[in-house]
Amino acid sequence: MTSELPAVMLESVSKWYGEVIGINDVSLAIDGGVTGVLGPNGAGKSTLFKLLLGRLRPSQGSVRLFGTDPWESTSPFRRVGYVSETEPLYEWMTALDFLTTMARLHGMTRDEAKERAEHVLDFVGLTDVRHKEVGKYSKGMRQRVKIAHALVHDPDLIILDEPLHGCDPLARTSIMSVIRELGNRGKTVIVSSHILEEIERITEQIVILHNGRLLALGNLHAIRGLLDKHPHRIMLETESPRELAKELISEDPIYGVRFPEEGCLEIQTGDLSEAHAILPNAIVKSGIRVTSVENPDDNLDSLLGYLVGG
Amino acid sequence: MDVQGRELSETVWTRMDRKAGAVVELTIRQLRHKISTWVVLSLGTVLMIMLLAFYVDAVREGFEPVDNDGDSVDADRDGYPLGQERKYGTSDWDGEQFPGSGTYIYEGEIDWNDQNREISGNKTWEGMSFLDSTWIDFDYKGGQWDYIIDWDDVTDCQDTRGEVFVDWIPDYSTACQLENGTYATNGKFTAEGNLTVPIDYFLSWGYITGIFDVPKDPKEMYIDEDDIDWDGSGGSQGFDDDGDCLRIDWYTQVDGNGDMMWWQEPHYPDSNLNGIPCDVVWVIDPETGEVISINADSSVDEDPVDENYVGEAGHRTFVIATGKIAFVLLLGLFLPLFLSLGLVRDETERGTLHYLLSKPIHRGEFIFYRVLGYLAVVSVFVLILSLVMALITSVIGPGDSFVRLGDFPVWLGIAFTTILVLAAYGSLFNTIGLLLPKYGVYLCIIIGVWEFAMGFTTLISPSSSVASLSVSHWGLQLIDSVVLASWPDTIQFSQMSYAFGLETGLEWIWSPPVHTLDTNSPYLGIITSTIVLLGTSAAMIGIGSAVFSKREIM
Repeated sequence: MTSELPAVMLESVSKWYGEVIGINDVSLAIDGGVTGVLGPNGAGKSTLFKLLLGRLRPSQGSVRLFGTDPWESTSPFRRVGYVSETEPLYEWMTALDFLTTMARLHGMTRDEAKERAEHVLDFVGLTDVRHKEVGKYSKGMRQRVKIAHALVHDPDLIILDEPLHGCDPLARTSIMSVIRELGNRGKTVIVSSHILEEIERITEQIVILHNGRLLALGNLHAIRGLLDKHPHRIMLETESPRELAKELISEDPIYGVRFPEEGCLEIQTGDLSEAHAILPNAIVKSGIRVTSVENPDDNLDSLLGYLVGG
Repeated sequence: MDVQGRELSETVWTRMDRKAGAVVELTIRQLRHKISTWVVLSLGTVLMIMLLAFYVDAVREGFEPVDNDGDSVDADRDGYPLGQERKYGTSDWDGEQFPGSGTYIYEGEIDWNDQNREISGNKTWEGMSFLDSTWIDFDYKGGQWDYIIDWDDVTDCQDTRGEVFVDWIPDYSTACQLENGTYATNGKFTAEGNLTVPIDYFLSWGYITGIFDVPKDPKEMYIDEDDIDWDGSGGSQGFDDDGDCLRIDWYTQVDGNGDMMWWQEPHYPDSNLNGIPCDVVWVIDPETGEVISINADSSVDEDPVDENYVGEAGHRTFVIATGKIAFVLLLGLFLPLFLSLGLVRDETERGTLHYLLSKPIHRGEFIFYRVLGYLAVVSVFVLILSLVMALITSVIGPGDSFVRLGDFPVWLGIAFTTILVLAAYGSLFNTIGLLLPKYGVYLCIIIGVWEFAMGFTTLISPSSSVASLSVSHWGLQLIDSVVLASWPDTIQFSQMSYAFGLETGLEWIWSPPVHTLDTNSPYLGIITSTIVLLGTSAAMIGIGSAVFSKREIM
C-alpha cells in the first residue's frame, strides 16, 4: 500500500507569503536514512517543514507524505514524528505524563501509551527523571523529551527542526547519537541545521536550501566534489611551516602558500580532492611532523558561496 | 462480528474515542492548572453561598403577615386605619376627618383689619392669636398637614428673634407660651378662654357637630383580613371577608352637589366583568386540572394570610431567580468568558499547538474535543453547585416533609439548562477566540452585555422576538419550561401573586414558556429550547472548525 510511496515528496512546490517567497519551486523526494536540511536562517527550512506538517498550504505544486497531501488529511501524521524548534512544553506535566498523553493522541490505550512512553524515555535516556516535571528540566533534557514525544508512536518519518540548537556539547553528542541510531533502524529522518559541521557528524545525505531555492541535494561529499574545481584552502599545523611549504609547492594541484600565523601553513589548491590525495604521501616524504589538517572553507557559508557564485 | 470487522471497528471507532478521551483529559488538566479557572469557580461558589445566606435569613425570619392591600396605614395619624376610614367615608389624608368626627360649622372671624380684636368662648379656633385659656382640648389632634396645633410640642416664646407676631410668628400648626402663661397660636385648636388677634392677622371659629364615638380599630385588624376563599374548583369563587368590596352598611360622604368627596375611590364591584359582584374567577385547565388564570374583583380576597401562600411562592421565586440570574446569566456568561475563549488561542500563543496538531486528529474534531473538555469541567462544577443548593434549600424550605423531593427535578433542570448555555457560549467564545485572537475578548464582552440585556428583556417580556436572538432567552425559556413541568401549579402561585397582591416576585421572575408551538406543553418547551441551544453550539463549533481547518498556522 502506501509503504512503497516515498516518505516525503515535493513536486515544484512554491510558497509565498504575499510578496515574500518562502520556498521557490522545490522538488525533492526523501525516503530512508538521515537527511540533513541545511541552510542559513531564512533559507526556507521552517517553511518546508510547515508544508510537510500541513500547517501551510503550498501556493503551487504538491506536497505528499507517504503519498497523501498533509494539508488535506491528517492521516499521514500517524507515521510522522515532529520535533519543533520552539521551546515550550507543558511545564506542569512530568515527562512520562506528557509522553503518555501524546501517545494517546495517536489513539493508543492508556496502558499501551504508558508502555511506549517508558520505552522512548529509556531510548533518550530520561528514565531516571521521568516523574519530574518538565518545567524543571535542563535545555538538553527538554530537547530529549521533545524527541521522545516524536518517537512515542514509532513513526516511519521523523522531522527534527534544529534539534541541536542551544544545546551544550554533551547534549549535542547524545542527541546526535540518537538521530544516527534512528537512521540505522531504517527510519526516514530529516534534520535541519544551519551549521554544516553538525550535520556532517550525523549524515552525508543533505539538502541545501538558500533563499527558498533548492541549491543542492545528495551526498555531502559528492556535493563537495562539485566544488573541487574552485580555489580551496587547506590549513596545516606544523612546527616548520616554511620547510613543508618548500616540499609541497612543487606538487601539481598546489599553486600557492601563505603563512597566516606561527606554526601554520595555508596551501591553496584548485582541486581539493586531488590535493587531499597527494597530501599524505608528500607529508610523509618530507618527514616533517604535521599535527592537523583542516579545511577552513568547509563551512556552510563558503559552501553556499561557491554554490551561489558558481 | 468477524475478525476483520472487529479490527475495523477497533481502528476507526475506538481510536477516535481514545483520541477524544486524550484531548478532553488534557484540556481538563490544563484548565485545572490555570489560576483563572479557580478564581472564576471560587467566585461562582461565593455567589451561591451569598444567595444561600439570604435565603436562610429569609426562612429564619419566617413569613411575617404583610398588609397586601395597604389598608392598615394611618396616614393622617388620627388613630383610625385607612380601612376603617374608608368604611366611614372619611379621608385618611385629613386628621380632622375620621369616623365620627362630625362636621365643622363656621361661626365668625376676626379679619386682619377689624377694629375689635378680642373674643372669648369655648370653640374650635383657627388662626393667629394670643390665647389666655381656661381649658384646652389636648385630645384634638391631627396629621402634619392638618394645621392642628400639637400641644405636646409647645415652645417658649422668649426668642432671640424678638417679639412674637411683631418680629416673627410661630411655625405652622404650633403654639408657643409667653411668660405670663398665655399662648401664641398658629393653627387650629379647641379651647375655652379669651383670645386676642394681633393686628394684621386672622382668626376664625366655629363648632363641630354630629360627633359620635367610633372605637379605633387596631391596625392588625386590617392585616391578612381578607384571605383567599377557594374550594379548589373553577368558576366563581371568593368571598369579600372584610366587606370592602360589598360595602354593606358603609357610609358615603358627599359634598354639597351630591358628588363623592375627593378622597373616596370610585367603586366597581364587578371589575372582572363576569356579572357577579365581588367574586374571584378561577380558570382551571380541563386537561391538566391546573389553575391557569385567576381574575379577581378588586378588594376581594385581596389580603390573604401570607404564610399559607408566600412561603411556597417565595421559595419557588428563590429557586427560579437563582436558576435564571445566578446560574444561567452569571455563571453561564462568566465561566466561558474565562475558560473557553483561550481553548485553542492560548495554545497558539504559548507555542504548544503543534504538539496537538501534528497528530492524526482532524482539526475540526480537535476543536470539538477541546470544547468537550471545557464542558466537562464546567458541567461538573454546575452539577455539584446545583445539587448542593438543592439539598440545602429543599431541607430548610417550606413544607411538611423533611426534604422537598419535588425541588430536585427543578434544580437538575437548572443544571441541565446552564450546561447547555455554557456549551453555546463556550463554543461561541472559542470560535471568536480563533477568529479574532487579539480583540476577541472585547467582542465577547459586547456579546455578554447583549446577552444580559436580552436576558432581562426575556424576564420582562418573554415573548419578545428580539430577545429570541440571544442564547440567554432560550436558556431562560428552558427554565420556565422545566419549572412548569416539575411544579405544574406554579401558574396557580404566579396568578395568585398577581391577583391577590402577594409580594413574592413570582409573577415577575416566572411566566409560562412561550415556545411551546401553541400547545402550552412544558415538555415541548423543553424540547424546542434544547434544540435551539444545542443547534447554536453545533453551529458555532462548525464555524470554528471550518475556519480553523482552512487556517495556515505560522
